[in-house]
Amino acid sequence: MIREQVKLPLSVALGVVLQGIRIRFGRSVVTLMGVVLGVAFLMSSLAGQVFTKGVEREDNLRLEVRRRYSFLTAEMGPPRDRVLGVVQVGPLDEVEERLLRLLAREGIGRIQWAETGTAGGLPSDLAPKRRDAALETVGAGASAVLVLGRGDPPPADWAALLAGARQKVVCLSRKDQHVVAAQGVAVSALERELKEDEVRRLKDEQRRTRFRNLWIVVLSLLVTVICIANSMLMSVTERFKEIGTMKCLGALSSFIRRIFLIESGMMGLAGSILGFVVGVGFTLAVYVATYGFSLTLASVDVGRILLYSLLSVVAGVGLSIVAAIYPASVASRMVPATALRSNI
Amino acid sequence: MASGNAQSDDLFAPSKEQSRRRIIRAVDVKKVYRMGRQETHALRGATLSIHAGEYVSIMGPSGSGKTTLFNMIGGLRKPTSGKVYIDQVDIAQLDHNELAWLRCRKIGYIFQTYNLLGVMTALENVTLPMSFAGLDSERAREKGVDLLKLVGLGHRILHKPDELSGGQQQRLAMARALANSPEIVLADEPTANLDSKTGGEMIELLAWLRSELRVTIIAATHDLKTLQQSDRIFWIEDGRIVRVARPEEIDFKTGRLMTNGDLQPTQDA
Repeated sequence: MIREQVKLPLSVALGVVLQGIRIRFGRSVVTLMGVVLGVAFLMSSLAGQVFTKGVEREDNLRLEVRRRYSFLTAEMGPPRDRVLGVVQVGPLDEVEERLLRLLAREGIGRIQWAETGTAGGLPSDLAPKRRDAALETVGAGASAVLVLGRGDPPPADWAALLAGARQKVVCLSRKDQHVVAAQGVAVSALERELKEDEVRRLKDEQRRTRFRNLWIVVLSLLVTVICIANSMLMSVTERFKEIGTMKCLGALSSFIRRIFLIESGMMGLAGSILGFVVGVGFTLAVYVATYGFSLTLASVDVGRILLYSLLSVVAGVGLSIVAAIYPASVASRMVPATALRSNI
Repeated sequence: MASGNAQSDDLFAPSKEQSRRRIIRAVDVKKVYRMGRQETHALRGATLSIHAGEYVSIMGPSGSGKTTLFNMIGGLRKPTSGKVYIDQVDIAQLDHNELAWLRCRKIGYIFQTYNLLGVMTALENVTLPMSFAGLDSERAREKGVDLLKLVGLGHRILHKPDELSGGQQQRLAMARALANSPEIVLADEPTANLDSKTGGEMIELLAWLRSELRVTIIAATHDLKTLQQSDRIFWIEDGRIVRVARPEEIDFKTGRLMTNGDLQPTQDA
């Protein structure tokens, strides 16, 4: 019968842990802050990447729209009350849509719209400016004809199409579009071509940043682990007598180990959640201060932020438990006789 | 404080024929502590046996090996050589889980400094060993309340240890020691931190436990009042049991043996 195991109710362990945290609240808060800082750092780095990516994309988008707009207006003149012909050869991308909206905002008189091939829809807010037209009449009275969408426009005699236009200008919104050159028709592409070394430089810069961030995050998590391990060791030393007493009362080593693992895990959970809030909040504040409210909010990928926060909480709890393995095993190996006469 | 409790018979019921059973036996127990290169011989060969239902005191000056012997027969440490049998089981053969089982079910501990868990109420302190033994919380509660009444703390069930006096704390510790109806109660200087009146009450309670519940009591002590209640007293000096005496042989005014002749080493107690 002596081989019968002593049962270990989890609820008892949980109770002991909660009471332990309550009675040593100050030290628990210090441990918690270690986790909070580590996870906040991890989260602000991850969130920073998400924000940067979003803001960069949004920023680039706005820049590109601006640039194409100024190219176009350089060709056709200020858009107010002018007529623009559009040949849509495929679905519009975001830059093209925004370019149209910008033209509308700037008070363009009319957009003569000719669809060729498979065309996507047009944003509904542009509908009042739109006049459907055939390819043959798209250029009538226009200051310029803009080719939108992916693909080449159908072969046409552009000189004839633009016979009735105010200016014989064809603007290609993308660099992969081609039109057959015609007498007296100016053709220009709005999209800028990135030079190869520029692209490589950008990629290198991105890779460097990613590695640096990764390294800093790994370092900060290591610091967190050591901080928790140290604090848990202190907790074990503080409780030598308590542990010894519980062993004298029949607690198994695994029960003692479990107490410390649960305690650390619980503080890891609380600290991670707090750290995630602090980290994201701080990063958001910094980006709002730098890029303004609208740009930041427009560019945040909420799904990705949530995914990262889940990951960082899992990492926080996991690392807290890993950090407590050594202190917990020190506690569980303790000789129960320590309880009798120790004055620690 | 401890009389007229009918339920105590249900809690502890060792049969009469068990009473002369040898519950603890130590055979030529030696213990060497190593501190770096220094070796300390805490016990140099102690042999004794204790019967079930006996009240035994262990006396000796500090550094005599008293605590070591006490720990050994309480299953808290294993001997370097020699054998310790608790209820016929050689503790050297047990792994740490089985030792935990032994400490949980067979032995109740009373400490000099009470060692109550300050974060828990009196009742929680008493029911903790029961939950280690796997008792469900409802039954543990009932039994815990009964035990607290038994030691005269029925009105202090939900108090924290630091809200109790020293004597009450030690009685709470005693209730906790009895949680899993142990056959052996080990008391390490149970009266050292108490004044003489409450210390006397403690000793009476211990003696009552012995006579009513047939619990074996082993106490390490300096307190002469403790000796008065004991069946036998082991004297330890320099790692050996040098004398086994009965309380009648002691002059309680001076603390010396009446037959203060030669202290014969007794190899078999």
